[in-house]
Amino acid sequence: MINRILFIIPFFVLLAATSLFAQEESPIDMNAETVKGKAFVTYPSYSGEPFLNLKFQLGEIEFLDGTKASNLGLRYSSYRDELIYFNEYLSDQIVIDKISLKGFSFNELNGEKRIFRRQNYDGFINGERYFEVLSDGPISLLAYRKVDLETCDPSFSELGLAYKQSYSYYMFAPGKGYSLLKINRNSLLSKFDRPNQRLVKKTLRRNRVMITDEASFVLAWNVIKENGIAINF
Amino acid sequence: MKRRTIILLLLFIALTGEAQEREHFSLFTDRDLYISGETLLLKVFVPADELSGIVNIDLINTKGEIITGISKKIIDHQADGFIDLPDSLSSGCYLISASTAISTTLTVKELYICNRFTTLPESNMAIRPIVNNPVIEQPATPLQIDGLEKAYKTRGKVNFSLHLPPEFISQIDNNLFVSVAEIAPEYSPKTFFKNAKQKTNLSIEKDGVVLEGYVNDIKTGMPFKNGIVYLSIPDTCPRFKYYITGNDGHFKFQLDNYFGKIPVVIQGFDPEEKHLLKIVLNHRDSLISSVPEAFEQWTIPAELRKTTADNIEAANFRKIFNRQELTVDTPPIKKPDDYPFYGLPTEVVDPQQFIELPNFTEISRELLPGIKFRTYNRQSLLQVFSPVKHNYLNDKPLVLIDGIPIRDLDIIKDLGTKEIDRIEICRDERYYGYLKFPGVVALNTTKPDNTRLVESEDLVKINLDVIQPDVTLNIPLEQRLNELDLRKILLWKPSLKPEQTIQLDLESSDIIGSFKLVVHGKNKDGSVFYKEQIFEVN
Repeated sequence: MINRILFIIPFFVLLAATSLFAQEESPIDMNAETVKGKAFVTYPSYSGEPFLNLKFQLGEIEFLDGTKASNLGLRYSSYRDELIYFNEYLSDQIVIDKISLKGFSFNELNGEKRIFRRQNYDGFINGERYFEVLSDGPISLLAYRKVDLETCDPSFSELGLAYKQSYSYYMFAPGKGYSLLKINRNSLLSKFDRPNQRLVKKTLRRNRVMITDEASFVLAWNVIKENGIAINF
Repeated sequence: MKRRTIILLLLFIALTGEAQEREHFSLFTDRDLYISGETLLLKVFVPADELSGIVNIDLINTKGEIITGISKKIIDHQADGFIDLPDSLSSGCYLISASTAISTTLTVKELYICNRFTTLPESNMAIRPIVNNPVIEQPATPLQIDGLEKAYKTRGKVNFSLHLPPEFISQIDNNLFVSVAEIAPEYSPKTFFKNAKQKTNLSIEKDGVVLEGYVNDIKTGMPFKNGIVYLSIPDTCPRFKYYITGNDGHFKFQLDNYFGKIPVVIQGFDPEEKHLLKIVLNHRDSLISSVPEAFEQWTIPAELRKTTADNIEAANFRKIFNRQELTVDTPPIKKPDDYPFYGLPTEVVDPQQFIELPNFTEISRELLPGIKFRTYNRQSLLQVFSPVKHNYLNDKPLVLIDGIPIRDLDIIKDLGTKEIDRIEICRDERYYGYLKFPGVVALNTTKPDNTRLVESEDLVKINLDVIQPDVTLNIPLEQRLNELDLRKILLWKPSLKPEQTIQLDLESSDIIGSFKLVVHGKNKDGSVFYKEQIFEVN
């Protein structure tokens, strides 16, 4: 038995040596952190929530050149339309330069993935904005998750100011621009020709989709997209 | 006991045999005999399983020292480029090697270079490497060369075609390499394999050259942990990279998609400013130093002496009349939507629009509100006022001169309005990865030449050869009768798509001698094939 063990040991030594060499040939990750940004300055404390996600969630950012950095603690500020990243090494909150990003995504606590894309908005108060992609395709369904600081009843907030949601929804197609949508059935139907409107109604009825909120609106949009009904855009 | 030893030996052979079976680089040059100051064209076939994306080709002397070298991007397991042979090379045998940063085997080719001023040695004796592991190529029998005659007149039309059967084409891995160049029949050098020293730190170069080295504590000479190394490339939009060293003090920078020769400044420092550091850059010499091992004496044939004398005359003529052999293809231009690594400036000041001020202290007082630059006890201090914090930021801001971070403020203290073209200021606390900059002051001078930065142990300035851009061989479309045509390379097609019939037309030059048409290719199984035919021009 001892002889056998003595015989097997050199075999394993050789095997380990070869696997070690194999490990050395594996590619070395040289992606250094290149997130560019400025220090985050805390917002004044009023009623309401200026952030989309209450806590930092692990997510991924995509730079302009297409490179990605993942496992970053991210938080989207709806109030300022900016992405905040928590740098663990420096223990600092950093506002990532909007012009350096193509987009970002993060996972909610319930596991739902939220994808945001930086796009130029050419409507009223134009500029670069982060839009949440609710449904992607040749015509995308986008949401602009804006929160405004508004005056309110002092009984609601002692300071008379509160962060209030003011989300906007758009249909977007490259080259055609944005078209505002409201989260209701009529707004959706208005984006179709008359003959197609019937078809849309029928499709939604058949799929038992009733538009009551954002989630059902997105569901209705996806059902229509799957059925290939042409949008008048 | 005997049985056990035999089994162990067999096992060892089986395991090492796998490594030996691995494909190697195949290296070809346009010619074997060169005159100093000429351009050497080269082609490399790379093994299909090669992890590295960059191949390094080096010209080495008989002592094993790298004289010059290039780096090329590997595309479809192939690469081609050129090496300008320095004018000062002494006559003798040289070696050209192909390798990657992680290579354990080098492919080496012998060359003879004759100095165009001193000519061949009078002793008629030279040394050549003893070749133990020659590269063996298989002749490509299915490939047919049609229409190539045995002799042509000078400035004669040379038309021929290559015929490849479809089943042969299906075996070929990517493109063929075809060349027609002058040969010296009396000199036939060998290509061979050579085992290289194993590197301790393996960095795979994927899309660009990797620059690596170490930072050591000057006092102790030991590797320095947590040292910060900056790499700056001055440009209209300055490029910047950084590295925070680990226990071994090692740093590396991958320079993706940079072409040609770029000025690079490397700085290393202790963020706590307690230790002085020294930067030691790694060189490829360590890989090459073992090449070659042994040489033998060789008598230069009399015919070669005559050929070389003719070649020197031709090379001198081409030098005098400045004939450009190659056209450099424009490297891809970077996207203009990029912005400086320190962020978009909150303020931009052009000091030349104001009254003339003699130094930066005056400029900061008169033109830069919220920028405090003072010199106390021969020590300069710079602070930036932050509108967010309603106070001056405590720490030293990032100061740049022509895109290069500087830590010694004495460099800028004497700069007046005449020397400064533009001042960019970022008043926020800026972040770049793991680096934090308490404000940024970026000065762009009227003469951005880096001479203000003094090289020291912790600051290294180099002109780095990165990826060589692609080139095409200049072949005159129309020959002028009153001009000598002294081309030694009549055709250079490093990447020719294999087709059933390839028609090639060229014109011979005024050079009289033997020329060789060579077709090289690589099969999908990794074996390299060739087909060649010699013709005379008289």
